Amino acid sequence: MTTISRDRVRNLMAAVLKTQGKTLPNDDAADLRDIGFRSLDFSELALRVEDEIGYELNFDAPGLRQIETVGDVLDFLEQLQVA
Amino acid sequence: MPSPLGGDNRLVTGDHGPTAWSGLPRLDLPPVTAALAHSHGDALRAVWGHVNSDDELLIASAARIDEAERQDLRSSGFSIVDGGHVDPPSVLRAAEPGRLWLLTSGSTGRPKRVGHTLHSLTTVTGRQPPRRWLLPYSPGTYAWWQLVTLSLTQPSQDLVCVEPDEIDQWPQLAAREGVTAVSGTPTFWRQALWGSAPALRELGLEQVTLGGEPVDQTVLDALRETFPAARISWIYASSEAGASIAVHDGRAGFPQEWLGHHTPGRPLLKVDGEELVLESPHHAEGLAGVIRTGDRVDVVDGRVHIVGRIAGDEINVGGSKISAAAVRDALQAHPDVAWASVKGRRAPIVGTIVTADVVVTREVTEAELVAHCQRRLPDYGIPRRFRFLDEIPFKETLKSDV
Repeated sequence: MTTISRDRVRNLMAAVLKTQGKTLPNDDAADLRDIGFRSLDFSELALRVEDEIGYELNFDAPGLRQIETVGDVLDFLEQLQVA
Repeated sequence: MPSPLGGDNRLVTGDHGPTAWSGLPRLDLPPVTAALAHSHGDALRAVWGHVNSDDELLIASAARIDEAERQDLRSSGFSIVDGGHVDPPSVLRAAEPGRLWLLTSGSTGRPKRVGHTLHSLTTVTGRQPPRRWLLPYSPGTYAWWQLVTLSLTQPSQDLVCVEPDEIDQWPQLAAREGVTAVSGTPTFWRQALWGSAPALRELGLEQVTLGGEPVDQTVLDALRETFPAARISWIYASSEAGASIAVHDGRAGFPQEWLGHHTPGRPLLKVDGEELVLESPHHAEGLAGVIRTGDRVDVVDGRVHIVGRIAGDEINVGGSKISAAAVRDALQAHPDVAWASVKGRRAPIVGTIVTADVVVTREVTEAELVAHCQRRLPDYGIPRRFRFLDEIPFKETLKSDV
């Protein structure tokens, strides 16, 4: 099963924000609210990941949890790919 | 039947030299025929056979009729005439003289048969200026019949037929044959404006007509700029309701005061909720009275815009609803977007997000398109995934989304 690296997911996240005229900080601890990363952005990011790996992510598998920081997003999508 | 007024009109098809209606051979077709047309020539010969015999007839492009449809037609009493081959009906029934059948586009499911006659399909009755029309529509469709009946019933209305494999080169064909009037869908026109604008300007058309899909101001303005001397008209029509709205002022939408206005012999237009409903004198068999069109309207500044199908138009993004047509129109208002198609795509968290396929006239970034949309649409309506296509997708119906 194809997976993409955490760095690649970070690049995709930066691309999502850039299209919205925003910037992704380097700090994984950055709060999503501060950088304006919203649920729509998360959905878009997930689709970008799906388009690269070629299959749908199973959002039921790990159970949705609190996602507050950039690192949480990257962790979550990393986890989903191996779920 | 007496020779129709258009009997001497010239017909130009790819499979034989120019001729007139009256020069076509009289086909001896079975009394209930489904004629599968491999060319416009096949279809026009079947029409001429009907004019002279009054036999029951359905015409469809051969490419539209699959095996299931063929068997369905046979079990409904039709002989299938496919080139030189005739498949007899599997169920015999009496013919209905004068009956013509159209197949709906199938955009809302399997094609349905809709009953008409030459009389009900003839919607242009006032004397028209002499014109040579390009006929790009697929044989047997309502739009095709509109031009065919015009040519049959009025003098000096010639037809120059375009086969599907010639569609990209139609401006050259039109120039060669001296075409003065062209009718097509907005997708047809967008494709031509995008790919052949210099050749179009050389045509000097007198009449430009659009129909079959929602018509927006951007495409009307582009046509006006390309054809400054032409009358530009858009038509709202369907196989079921017939031609119901014709607008000639070069503007998208029709005047709001037309709603509820009753003129004998003209369609009565109404809006119920957000749906266009109408009563049309050109309706198909069995559809007298109010017809629910399934098309959504939007009233803006005194104009009623028909923006798209109600079913399938709405995209629900995390509980917020946006019209795909509104997003498409916003994208197509961008000066470098030649064409756009908008859909919902299943997505985690919000359920669905808006995606768009676009054809651009120069290099444009996603960020530029997003910024353009941000000035016109709510956040949830801005496309989140773009696909840049090399050319405008084109189907035999001349539409993008069917």
